[in-house]
Amino acid sequence: MTRRLYDLAYGRSGDKGNIANLSVIARSPEAYQEIKAKLTAERVKTHLGDLVKGRVVRYELDNIEALNFVCYDALDGGATRSLRIDNLGKSLAGALLYMPWDT
Amino acid sequence: MAYRIGSAQGFYGDDVLRALPMIMGGHVDVVCFEALSELTLAILQKDKLANPKRGYTFDVKLIAQKILPEAFKRKIPLITNGGGLNPQAAAEMVRETAAQMGLAGLKVAAVSGDEVLPRLAELQAAGEALAHLETGEKLADSANQNIVTANVYLGAAPIVEALQNGADIVITGRVADPCLYLAPLIAHYGWAWDDWNRLAAGIVCGHLLECTGQVVGGNSLALIHEIDAAGLPNLGYPIAHVDADGSFIVSKTPDTSGCVTLATVKEQLLYEVHDPANYITPDVIADFTTLRLAQVADDQVRVTGVTGKPRTATLKLNMGRLEGFMRELIFTIGWPEAWRKVEQMKTMLNVFFSRMPGITRVEYSYLGANSLYGSVAALPEDPLEVLVRVAFTADDQETLKNAVRQIMTTGLSGPAGMSVSGTTVGAEPRYVIGLWPTLIQREHITPAVEYWSV
Repeated sequence: MTRRLYDLAYGRSGDKGNIANLSVIARSPEAYQEIKAKLTAERVKTHLGDLVKGRVVRYELDNIEALNFVCYDALDGGATRSLRIDNLGKSLAGALLYMPWDT
Repeated sequence: MAYRIGSAQGFYGDDVLRALPMIMGGHVDVVCFEALSELTLAILQKDKLANPKRGYTFDVKLIAQKILPEAFKRKIPLITNGGGLNPQAAAEMVRETAAQMGLAGLKVAAVSGDEVLPRLAELQAAGEALAHLETGEKLADSANQNIVTANVYLGAAPIVEALQNGADIVITGRVADPCLYLAPLIAHYGWAWDDWNRLAAGIVCGHLLECTGQVVGGNSLALIHEIDAAGLPNLGYPIAHVDADGSFIVSKTPDTSGCVTLATVKEQLLYEVHDPANYITPDVIADFTTLRLAQVADDQVRVTGVTGKPRTATLKLNMGRLEGFMRELIFTIGWPEAWRKVEQMKTMLNVFFSRMPGITRVEYSYLGANSLYGSVAALPEDPLEVLVRVAFTADDQETLKNAVRQIMTTGLSGPAGMSVSGTTVGAEPRYVIGLWPTLIQREHITPAVEYWSV
């Protein structure tokens, strides 16, 4: 079976206007070091493809061993305007955790 | 003795009655109800346009009828931003309800001053460009001036004032979610308005509580293998025990289902957060990167070490602009040659849409295949079933009705074996509201506190 980011981390996504944030919370200190080293904003942006039209900014929280990715222009205009079935972007964290993790 | 805050509402439609076991069990000193989202205000504006005495959330009535008598008896204040666009009307309704129930001596407070819809011209004349936070475009330069809501996120101060004046229930308009929870802490402990670390701790506390179920096992991916799904409909909503120094324990209503763990707290801590070192609120900038979490007992996570920075000179103002209406239709398509039929269906739909210039946006997705994750995963090669969802918008509802009527002819003239999901055909159009977040100088905003007594 393909190893995925989900094997190293869990997370939750939320919306604010047209911006989605995706938390990636490590399952262990070792997993945190690995994702902190390798899960760059560029990689996240590439993986999410047409879901995120704007830039992706990464924030680190060493204190809780988590990363936070802020994705701009990621909700088709925001929950009140979006034509997506998941207009709040509740599932976006899952989209990120689906990333194959072979490295 | 720690001060205990209960949280019994995380959105308009949440089960506010979860406050009752908190109150009747003697587990809380105050209960807060957070009712407003970016979408909620637009919904409330629709209500208010139909009836000027409305514009607040229906939940306030339920709070008044079912929760207020028990809370008032025990001198436990209630705080809600469910006043929405009409906190004064909500307060008047609560006063009447309380009077009918014989709650003599009860004091209701309404906090307003957040709504600037009638003041937009004045504010722009005073030098506020009201430029869009993400695009930088000035409001005056934008083609769509059909603004239906304009509300500033207020801080804790007017709620603190109401509590210090003895209000038993405080009903506000657009107060920033975590500030609802910070306010009773300031009123109780007398924290100074420049005690940044304590104010920030109160904000983190409020942020962890404001989504009720989400910190006690709801919407938790971390606990997916442990959570008892049969218990989720009866989650015990969260309670924080806050010490004078700002450190606190996140817990939940005793003898209920759900759980509080490091994982549930971490998941909620980052929910709807951007830069975690600079969580901007009307009262303080909170830094989430210095705090420490510790599981000190079952369902008890201690939060210490929160730090804060001085508040900004500006407040956030969010405006909603009516952009039109949307409908969605779902078509069921099965094997064989499902993808070919999907392409035929889309070709037909595009012909219909091209005949109707009033259609402004069209979006296709395949439920169960790419509607959530887009291009993240490849489509199946020869699927047994495909659900095609088409969502489309127009400036007016009549155009949408005409579109649906024409599209329905595909029922007998469309791809083989195609059907349309009946519930989507009969649905009402949904409002499409474009958001315009911006900043405004603080000095332009003066919150007002008014009182009603029984």
